[in-house]
Amino acid sequence: MSDNAPLLSVKNLATTFETARGEVPAVGGVTFDLLADETIGIVGESGSGKTVLARSIMGLQPRTNVRVEGSVQLDGTEIVGASEAELRKIWAVDVAMIFQDPMTSLNPLIRIGKQIDETLRLRLGLNKSDAKKRAIELLDLVGIPSANERYMAYPAQLSGGMRQRVVIAIALACSPKLLLADEPTTGLDVTIQAQILNLLDQLKSDLHMSMVLVTHDLGVVATRTDRIIVMYAGRIVETGTTKEVFAQHRMPYTEALLASTPKVSDASHTRLNAIPGRPPDLLKLAKGCSFAPRCQYATERCHNERPELESSGSPSHLFACWNPLPLPTNRTASSAGSEA
Amino acid sequence: MTNLANDFGVAEPELLDRPEKRGRLGILFWVCVAWLGINIFGAIFANVLPLPNPLANNYSAINFGPSLHHLLGTDELGRDIFSRIVYGSRISVSVGFGAMLIGFGVGAPLGMLAAYRRGLFDQIVTTLMYVFLAFPAIIAVIAVLSFWTPRSLLKIILVIGIASIPLVYRVIRAATLSMGSRDFVIAAKVQGATDRRIIFRELLPNIAPVGISFLLIGIATVVTLEGALAFLGLSINPPQPSWGNMINESRTLLSQNIWIAIFPALALCLFLLSLNYIGDRLRSYFDVSEVKL
Amino acid sequence: MPDRTKLLEIQNLHVNFKKGGQTVSAVAGITFDVYEGETLGLVGESGCGKSTTGRALMRIVEPTSGSITLGGENLSTMKGRALRKARTKMQMIFQDPISSLNPRRRVRDIVAEPIDCWQSSKGEERTKIVDDLLHKVGIDPQVYGNRFARQFSGGQCQRISIARSLAMRPKMLICDEMVSALDVSIQAQILNLLEDLKAEYGLTLLFIAHDLAVVKNISDRVAVMYLGKLCEIGPADLLYAEPAHPYTKFLLGAALAADPNAARPDDILGGEPPSPLNPPSGCRFRTRCPNATEKCANEEPQMQTFSPGHAVACHYPLVIHSKSA
Repeated sequence: MSDNAPLLSVKNLATTFETARGEVPAVGGVTFDLLADETIGIVGESGSGKTVLARSIMGLQPRTNVRVEGSVQLDGTEIVGASEAELRKIWAVDVAMIFQDPMTSLNPLIRIGKQIDETLRLRLGLNKSDAKKRAIELLDLVGIPSANERYMAYPAQLSGGMRQRVVIAIALACSPKLLLADEPTTGLDVTIQAQILNLLDQLKSDLHMSMVLVTHDLGVVATRTDRIIVMYAGRIVETGTTKEVFAQHRMPYTEALLASTPKVSDASHTRLNAIPGRPPDLLKLAKGCSFAPRCQYATERCHNERPELESSGSPSHLFACWNPLPLPTNRTASSAGSEA
Repeated sequence: MTNLANDFGVAEPELLDRPEKRGRLGILFWVCVAWLGINIFGAIFANVLPLPNPLANNYSAINFGPSLHHLLGTDELGRDIFSRIVYGSRISVSVGFGAMLIGFGVGAPLGMLAAYRRGLFDQIVTTLMYVFLAFPAIIAVIAVLSFWTPRSLLKIILVIGIASIPLVYRVIRAATLSMGSRDFVIAAKVQGATDRRIIFRELLPNIAPVGISFLLIGIATVVTLEGALAFLGLSINPPQPSWGNMINESRTLLSQNIWIAIFPALALCLFLLSLNYIGDRLRSYFDVSEVKL
Repeated sequence: MPDRTKLLEIQNLHVNFKKGGQTVSAVAGITFDVYEGETLGLVGESGCGKSTTGRALMRIVEPTSGSITLGGENLSTMKGRALRKARTKMQMIFQDPISSLNPRRRVRDIVAEPIDCWQSSKGEERTKIVDDLLHKVGIDPQVYGNRFARQFSGGQCQRISIARSLAMRPKMLICDEMVSALDVSIQAQILNLLEDLKAEYGLTLLFIAHDLAVVKNISDRVAVMYLGKLCEIGPADLLYAEPAHPYTKFLLGAALAADPNAARPDDILGGEPPSPLNPPSGCRFRTRCPNATEKCANEEPQMQTFSPGHAVACHYPLVIHSKSA
């Protein structure tokens, strides 16, 4: 890692929805940095706040009924509290986002070529023919065969995988410094998912982008991220390099998440270590650790006092737990050995 | 909106700990219900209530403004406006409910059956209904009522009722279609439920809220239509009062007595507002898909 | 495999849909058996016809041709009440947990629905059966029995669906993507629950899913589908270790392991499945298969067994290929 200033710096970011039934702290104070060229994975189950976090970083929250506090600095620009006009200068040029459902993020009535053109002409001030040329280049770049003809296609004429490629092409149109990908492959078939993830990876290194990959699937982040943030009930419960999180996790939730994921490498009928219970109701979070009600190691303290993030030895590895798992020394050795 | 937080990825993980509490209907809803109740009560018991005869002329009290003696004043023939409004509500209420009874009685079962069965039956009935819909209902109603004389309340109800069938059919069919493709309907089928059981147990309770709110809004529409017909002189013949023909009669007298126009119009307006508001509140109250966060 | 009785036999099942004047063959002639007490996993990508197969077995969609035999009874020709009755022996659990339950009915009534349909028990006995089932799936009937379905989370809805499907003591359950809408931690709970109930009630499962890890975890045998046809069928561990069909190999290669040390799938399958409106001649996978030859275009490969219980429809199966090479 370099000691450059981080590209993205999130400090105490809290997003609260004001609803008829009370305040929902969807993101409850999140702090992390993202360096240039780095990929960070944000992992969590539904309700963990990962999507809201990504949208808050983007400045995409609606103005009413939502309170965003804290700070998000993108390359020196503050996003929290920025006006729509200020955000428009950043969007697409500095930061772009890919959403889960490619069908809803594309306008079904406009040819895909036009949808890419629009960004190019608006943001980069290209003229019509240059924009078209660049759009076809982009379609080609994201691996859409016969881009020339597809330029004229409507979203409905493309498969899900192809649509997601178009969405990626639009996101990349202005070569953003940061790409936020929110569940970019959820809903796609395994073989298509692998294609899209490889594409994102390759584009990221070709275009020197940083990436935030939001997903519920540990498999998606395992081999494609530098660092991982594990979220639970709106907070970071553990973060570290990908290897640290997978091999040396200290937080019982991370352990439980890994243990409850079925693995292709395990023999059939391997009993899964399911976590009992369900994620908590954000409307009535306990004052202690949010995971405590489901945690097998929970003690009195866990229910009463909320643990803050603390270091696990290495500066990158933080966790929030009163009763962390011991550091597995043998696992450290094996994962370090395979790093080469 | 209330489900905004849900759109932004805040799921509802722990629904069970929540008491079964829906959003309140609100005080205004109950005010509207009460107003509707008063109207219906007045319509039913108009001749039992201590009201002056709505047809009795009183030439010593012509075009009086509101007073203690005549609550809402009198018209150009000295008839009590309050009494005429109460009696007039009979027409509006019975046309509204009567026509919708016909519309729903025919349209709703047809719509449900067509959407549930699909196939040829659906195709034929739907095509037929769309042919009816293509013809502007109001013109059809005006045309029929102009020729089918002498006009009576029953004929008006019948004509408007029949004209509303395709509209009801379309709404109920659409609601059934959106429900019928849900997995729970297939699940019921797979468990061995008969078609009748599926329609009454699984589909009907889910369509009823849509139906009820459409019914209320439909009544409002029909009442307006009756008003318009009366205004054109195609409803109940004077001197029998209806809100529509009261407004119609007041046209020429506006400069002399503004009250003759204002009170029936106000009565019609409040009645319609109540119906629409109740219908709208009920729809969102019963809407289970709208997450109440 | 030792002598096992076949519970469900599917012979040459075809399902065609009419779409804008064209015929889509969603399921194009598949044949397989499900043995009593086993779990057969059916995997494939979207549009491969796996869900249509499940629905055709339940006669939710009408099979165009082929026969479905459940415990000696031919389901494919049944009608009316006989069909409704026969279906109580084979139940289905759907993908969308929320839409599977009528939001306006109470949990006890939902679970009792099959019992009420057949009037198999009434009054206290009915309540006892229902409460017992709810207990079994981990829902406290005393607390939640009278709640409405809409008040439950996805995982709980799926538990209620399971309870309902067991009410008539079926022999067989068809699970159509039943855990794919659930979070990982909830998915594990449901998979474990299913394993327990299978043992307790002596169930046979047809588990349809796209997630390879989930399918392997629950299945004894696995069948792989591509574009309406069966590619390969075999014991789960064997098929995952030594896939014989090139498509199975690619599918497994693309599956993402939750392990940072796992090899990145570099050799991923390019392209996308062709349209079922106009499937390729011969082997349907040949347009994306690196090993395809002229023979694959001209001749449709038939299912052939080359080790006990392991059959593959490919002219150049990988395992034999590597052995002979």
